Amino acid sequence: MSFEFLHPEAVANDAWAPIARSPMERRARACGARFEVREGWSVAVGYGSAEHDDEAWRSTVGWADVSHLGKLELQASPDDLRTIAADGAGGAGVSLELGRATRAAGAWWCPLSQARALVVCDPGVAAGLRERLSEAAAGASAPPASVTDVTTAFAAMTLAGPHAREVFARFCAIDLRPSVTPVAGLRPGSIARQPGIVLREAEDRFLMLFGWAVAEYMWTVVDDAGCALGGRPVGVDALAALGRAAEESGVPSHA
Amino acid sequence: MSYVLSCPNCGVREVTDFGFGGEVSARPKSRPTFRELNTYNYFRRNVAGVQREWWFHRSGCRAWFIAERNTLTNEVLFTARPEEVGEAGPGGRGQGGPDGRGEDGPDRPAAA
Amino acid sequence: MSRLPEQPGEKISRQRVVRFKFDGTIVEAYEGDTIASALYAAGRRTFSRSFKYHRRRGLMCCSGQCPNCIVAVDGAPGARACTEPAREGMQVEHLNARPGLEFDAMRATDLVGGPFTPPGFYYKTFIKPRRWWPLYEKILRHAAGLGRLREEQQEREWRTEYRRRHADLLVVGGGAAGLRAASTAARLGADVVLVDEGPEPGGRLLIDGRGERIAALVGEVEEARVETLSRASALGYFDGMVPVWQGDTLHQVRARRHVFATGTIEQPLVFAGNDLPGVMLSDGARRLMALYSVRPGTRAVVATTSDRGLEAAIALHEAGVEIAAVADLRSIPGSPAGTLKRLGIEVMPAHTVVEARGRKAVTQAVLQRVSGGGEERTFDCDLVVVSGGTVPASSLPLQAGAQSRYDNSRGNFALTELPEGVHAAGEVAGVEEFEAVLRSGELAGLEAAHALGLGDAASRGRVDELRGRLALARDQRAAVAVPPPVAGSRRGKCFACLCEDVTSKDIHLSIEEGYDSIELSKRYTTVTMGPCQGRMCQLPAVRLMAQETGQSLEQVGTTTARPPWVSVPMGILGGRPFEPAKRSSIHGRHRELGGNVKWAGDWRRPYDYGDPRGEALAVHQAAGLIDVSTLGKLLVRGPDAGEFLDRLYPNRFSNLKPGRIRYGVISSDAGRIVDDGTICRLDDESFYVTTTSSGAGAVEEWFSWWLADWAMGVHLTDLTQGLSAVNLAGPRAREIMAKVTGLDCSNEAFAYLDGKRAAIAGVACLILRIGFVGEVGYEIHFRAAYGEHVWDALLEAGAEFGIRPFGLEPQRILRLQKMHILVGQDTDSESTPFGAAMPWIVKLDKDEDFIGKWALEHYAQTPSATSLVGFTLPDGYVPTEGAVVLDGAGSAAGQVTSARYSPVLGKVIGMAWVPSALARDEARVTLSDVGRTVTAEIQTKPFYDPDGEVLRS
Repeated sequence: MSFEFLHPEAVANDAWAPIARSPMERRARACGARFEVREGWSVAVGYGSAEHDDEAWRSTVGWADVSHLGKLELQASPDDLRTIAADGAGGAGVSLELGRATRAAGAWWCPLSQARALVVCDPGVAAGLRERLSEAAAGASAPPASVTDVTTAFAAMTLAGPHAREVFARFCAIDLRPSVTPVAGLRPGSIARQPGIVLREAEDRFLMLFGWAVAEYMWTVVDDAGCALGGRPVGVDALAALGRAAEESGVPSHA
Repeated sequence: MSYVLSCPNCGVREVTDFGFGGEVSARPKSRPTFRELNTYNYFRRNVAGVQREWWFHRSGCRAWFIAERNTLTNEVLFTARPEEVGEAGPGGRGQGGPDGRGEDGPDRPAAA
Repeated sequence: MSRLPEQPGEKISRQRVVRFKFDGTIVEAYEGDTIASALYAAGRRTFSRSFKYHRRRGLMCCSGQCPNCIVAVDGAPGARACTEPAREGMQVEHLNARPGLEFDAMRATDLVGGPFTPPGFYYKTFIKPRRWWPLYEKILRHAAGLGRLREEQQEREWRTEYRRRHADLLVVGGGAAGLRAASTAARLGADVVLVDEGPEPGGRLLIDGRGERIAALVGEVEEARVETLSRASALGYFDGMVPVWQGDTLHQVRARRHVFATGTIEQPLVFAGNDLPGVMLSDGARRLMALYSVRPGTRAVVATTSDRGLEAAIALHEAGVEIAAVADLRSIPGSPAGTLKRLGIEVMPAHTVVEARGRKAVTQAVLQRVSGGGEERTFDCDLVVVSGGTVPASSLPLQAGAQSRYDNSRGNFALTELPEGVHAAGEVAGVEEFEAVLRSGELAGLEAAHALGLGDAASRGRVDELRGRLALARDQRAAVAVPPPVAGSRRGKCFACLCEDVTSKDIHLSIEEGYDSIELSKRYTTVTMGPCQGRMCQLPAVRLMAQETGQSLEQVGTTTARPPWVSVPMGILGGRPFEPAKRSSIHGRHRELGGNVKWAGDWRRPYDYGDPRGEALAVHQAAGLIDVSTLGKLLVRGPDAGEFLDRLYPNRFSNLKPGRIRYGVISSDAGRIVDDGTICRLDDESFYVTTTSSGAGAVEEWFSWWLADWAMGVHLTDLTQGLSAVNLAGPRAREIMAKVTGLDCSNEAFAYLDGKRAAIAGVACLILRIGFVGEVGYEIHFRAAYGEHVWDALLEAGAEFGIRPFGLEPQRILRLQKMHILVGQDTDSESTPFGAAMPWIVKLDKDEDFIGKWALEHYAQTPSATSLVGFTLPDGYVPTEGAVVLDGAGSAAGQVTSARYSPVLGKVIGMAWVPSALARDEARVTLSDVGRTVTAEIQTKPFYDPDGEVLRS
């Protein structure tokens, strides 16, 4: 394998047991985050009590560092890209219509161009997914077709709550009105003057991806705008609860 | 200057999302004369009107595309992927370049 | 107190008193008052001193248009007293008068007189003697400007917000037309934003006593869920984006359609003393009465060119103001003259005001026939109400691309040729009668909605009906105003422009001096360039120009409408003070280790850890560790990857063996150096390309640009931010590696320019054996999530060997010792690989074409005039980067690009472009550096380890 240096699990059985860390870990820690190691990542799971975190996304806005999400880049001819994605998703229908992400097989399938897509998934399923996709890519009809683990190329934050869109309006010119960007809308574009990708995961819930090296800056920007609107950082456990609440109320979302 | 461009992959964005790649023109297919080489490297048509140009969605999909724009009004007539423009499109280019900095290439100040 | 009895539409609450301070004195106001209405009610007439002559200025427009009442509120200059609400405890101060508003020492400029301050005065006067300019400048700077920046703004402690708002339709102007347009479009389903400057919508309806109509229109807007921004100013039109300033927020509104219902601006008349306190626009006087119940005076003279002034005379009379005289410029005054007659007030037709007299405020007005003949009549008064017609507030539609033409039949400029996506409604579109204004608003709202794909057959039918009725109204419209001449210019200063103190004489003089177009006169006299942005002076200036040059107003035209439409604090435009910064995943450690962090391109990087020379020595003597995560890292993959790189680089990569590394320089098609870096072949189809830190993004764009054209079987993936990288270098590096990896790092197993993959401290890494800093070194690339882990492990393993972290500055010393160039530092946009002493990098024997080949073939035959070489200096003096290299004749022939003291060599070393004839070992060149001249000795081979034996060991 040429690219094991890009793969997170290449370290699993080593005596050194390194822990993967988000570039926003220090900022989250300074805000009082509680950390747990999950799937080899040090993850900010919560800040105050569970109710305290939940309250932020219920009443104003909460933002959570989700940089540990797995990210895989697919490149192939348009036809191959569809085939590979379908194989990777285990037969679940994956539309690669531009501007729209699909939730399937525990991942968001995000087409960036006709020949490039990004798959964003929980870290636990990343390795398996990558293997399936690589296998599918090997059988591409019009090579080259490639699968690259770009987990650490993109840091990520989830913004959730009734004020989430207002927070974006403070630093992002992308039109996120529901009429223009409905749920599952995928909007690559400038976020706080940096390249980024915004994905509307649910009515009041957005996933934003941005460069790993600008994460500290991005935290500063989100924190500045979000706090002014009454929001605060929340842990990923609050997001899981948010996902469950959304499912119960029938609004499309994911945990 | 605050107009919008429609990236063929990502849709409508503010122009500040994009990098300008200069006017589309052809790179010589075979060894040029010295004069042809200099014309290719250093001369631009600099049209006051509609011209075909390269744009790069720097803040989004990071792909190059072609736009036809009126340089007097900033009206963008169309945008398309390079392969969609076909023969009339890039077909070799050379002039312009990332950031519109022409022959000076990336990250260099423009030559006087 | 000159308060009137309760008025039907008044905005004040008489039960609630608020107190604020004006220049230290407590002023009582009612809630709902503006600063100006409270001060005026308390008897104040002088609100500011003028820009140049420091003349007294009083309230004139009472609607935030003119410059006459600009004050500082709580230390922030630039507030209009006539629109700024009075708040409990606020501190209001005057501007531009020292020592005080009532006695201003600079008033001398006015009294000494005109000859000293014509246009261009400063440029004509303060240029001789030239050497005194710095002194002049200091004095003039002190005298110029309006107010001082408040401290918080300077310190950026004042929080301003930026807010992006996308909308289907933006309506600017909350008068009858704007309200109707907004509700009409919103009812059809459009997402509408309405912007209004006033504290509440209503526009001129507010002073017309049509409160119930406003309430109904506002109700419609609210019901249709229009987002209304009050006390908000649209600053300009930028290709469909309209910034709207509201309090501490700048809304950037990007709408698909725009309706401008910005109304008209009433114009002053130009006559002698037309700036005296007590000379007021008719709408200003009516606003004081209707909204704040303030009686503007006791005895008034009214001069008008339209019915507007006559209606004001009626309103004044009703408020108990004695009307001394009414002059109408028209020979046949309009219908309100009849009403006035019934009230016992005679209107003087074909008369105008030629002079206002008074010391601190107006005490007399002089009226005369327009033709100039006949006796002049003088009236005692404390108020002169003027109305010089109106101009459409058309700046925003003009910025959007509309045209403005002078309409002779109406004596006014009119909007024509509205661009796609832009609608005008109400008075700005030339519609005046109230019902017609509403219809034009409805029409604009319908047309905008239809253009957005909304509406139905009924709404479309309505459009035709409205168009017909509006056309009818247009045809029936009589001429409503005639252009007034300038009157009384021999009697005293007649101000065309209040902001910049430009008189009719100044414009006359500018024309005499050759500035005979309105755009030139504007630049010379600064007319229309003040805080009112031409609202009060555009038309007078155009009329004067026409009068003086004998042109028609149509020929003179107007000055270009430019943003901003209202004066706006810079801090609002600046937004939040965050600068995008890239930081390595190890950045936190650098701060903990005392790193001296500075900007390096887009990145924040440690320049050193307090001891750059010691850090450089550690690399030579033991080992050093530097964070090089900023390097560009690009994965190039696919069956055509080798050929792709062969086309992009002057040297060859398709023959590079997997696991080996080669240095490459990217050249442009003009043969100039673009970037450099190392390329490691990972396998048959995969290359790992590193670039300079500053060139990372541009190289990725360069690669993908050519790929977009060549359409080769190649995939690019930018891993610059995804991977961290550190360089472990020094004689003990190999021993340190042995402690953290199982990889055989012996020279035999892992040679110079080998690339290998192995776990280091448990993290999967790509290890490149390269030697940028001149010692045995391992450049270790790995996933950014493990930055601190790998860094810590290496420092810990190296502690027993004396490892030190080193920063950018020691790295610059180390690389300079090796004469490794820094692209952009040692090269510029003219440098070729030949001039930069790297002819070996250019493989002109490559048969196939590559970028830059043709130009490089040329440069291979044409010797470079200057060459990049090394030099040493004996006496410890470090020349400035940029110091000049002199040729034999003492002329500049090159420049120093890098220079440092090398602690390991004990001397100063550097690189410079020198005449090619001198580019040989032991040649001497003269360097001229800020007045100092030194002789340097040329050296062409690396200063340290010239043959690379250390690197290969």
